[in-house]
Amino acid sequence: MIPVSVITGFLGSGKTTLLARLLRDPAMSRTAVIINEFGAIGLDHELIETSDESFVQLSNGCLCCNVRSDLVLTLGDLAARRAAGTVPQFERVVVETTGLADPAPILHALMTDRDLCEVYTLDGVIATVDAVTGLATLKRHVESLRQAAVADRIVLTKTDLPGAQTAAISARLATVNPGAPVLAVVGGAIAPSALFDCGLYNAAGKHPDVHTWLAHEAAAAGGRARHHHQNDITTFCVVRAAPLRAVTLALLLSALAENCGADLLRMKGIVRVTEEPDRPAVIHGVQHVYHAPVWLARWPSDDRRTRMVFIGRNIRESWVRSLLDLLDAEVEDETAQRAGGLAAS
Amino acid sequence: MNVNLAANADNGARVREFLADSLALWKVDGAVETGVLPVVAVIRVSSGATVWVERPAGHDAPWRWFLRWRGPDMREERSRPCASLVGLLNAVRGALGVERGSAVRIVPAPVAA
Repeated sequence: MIPVSVITGFLGSGKTTLLARLLRDPAMSRTAVIINEFGAIGLDHELIETSDESFVQLSNGCLCCNVRSDLVLTLGDLAARRAAGTVPQFERVVVETTGLADPAPILHALMTDRDLCEVYTLDGVIATVDAVTGLATLKRHVESLRQAAVADRIVLTKTDLPGAQTAAISARLATVNPGAPVLAVVGGAIAPSALFDCGLYNAAGKHPDVHTWLAHEAAAAGGRARHHHQNDITTFCVVRAAPLRAVTLALLLSALAENCGADLLRMKGIVRVTEEPDRPAVIHGVQHVYHAPVWLARWPSDDRRTRMVFIGRNIRESWVRSLLDLLDAEVEDETAQRAGGLAAS
Repeated sequence: MNVNLAANADNGARVREFLADSLALWKVDGAVETGVLPVVAVIRVSSGATVWVERPAGHDAPWRWFLRWRGPDMREERSRPCASLVGLLNAVRGALGVERGSAVRIVPAPVAA
């Protein structure tokens, strides 16, 4: 499987600088790059030095809306050319979005296209945020907030410039998305290993990055806000010590999809399932689309509680908690009834 | 064993809180009030529709929830039994005219290289 990473970030936040610098690293030598530029004439691709033809520019519009299918076609075409040997055997794909893109529909496309899923796997979302203007941008432009909210890694750029508000914006980002490390960079200089292989699976077959995902919970335990509500984006973590029956988990995902739909930007978690107490299930969803649960061979730490992170719009934490509690009670009641019925017969 | 979680007062309050949060999630302007058992919640929305959510006592009924509703332009009350909380949510959405949500879609998980 070829990992696909999405680099997003608001206009002028340093996406292209970051990508250009990353591609100079020998560790990125076998990387295909797709750049989506908004407008008829793209410029960003001129700023990227690539050594081969594993490079595609999409300049017909924004990936997250009218050219989403172009991304699917482009990735499919790249895979076909790779298989035919007409492009180098790239081992990673990086997609740079436009500055106004909502990453969620792009993740949705990467997760749902049957042909793509046979070749590619979503690695993660990297969001760039400008340390000079980022605070104001997060406040004024909901696109920027959504990009930061769904990111697996946040890269804070321009921290060396006068007027950089590094501490203040780091604190803000910690409330917007406590689960994503905020990495300050100058001139886009950062090791690729700090940004990639953060997905459900990675090329090394490591455990999913659940510790990072679940920083929400650590933030809550430390007294920091675990719940953020600004410009309709909400993030929170639900923790449960008691295991969930598999059917409860299935009903939960169904209810989330039917009632939250596109408002659920991302949901990630590690679940203690009654039927498999020694093997946690990792779940990951975007909008109403979920990967089938991935069963780990063992718990990554001594903490065996269910922990689920929700990032969405207009979704109340109390609604999710009540939904889970009521479903759990309903399933337990039904199970007890059936057990009683069997015993009586 | 006769566990009836929704019919007791504490759980009824939780159900009402949950339904009130559901209205907010669906962006429906309305309120959820207490009813007389077996009605655990009465939903009144600004469009004029009223929904009564019942929780049949005991385990004799083949359904867990029973919904009755009347819209401002409806001459007669309508009703529908629901086998689960997920079904109840769908029924309430339908009664209030909320757009039907997307069904969950499970896609294959990536396989480690």
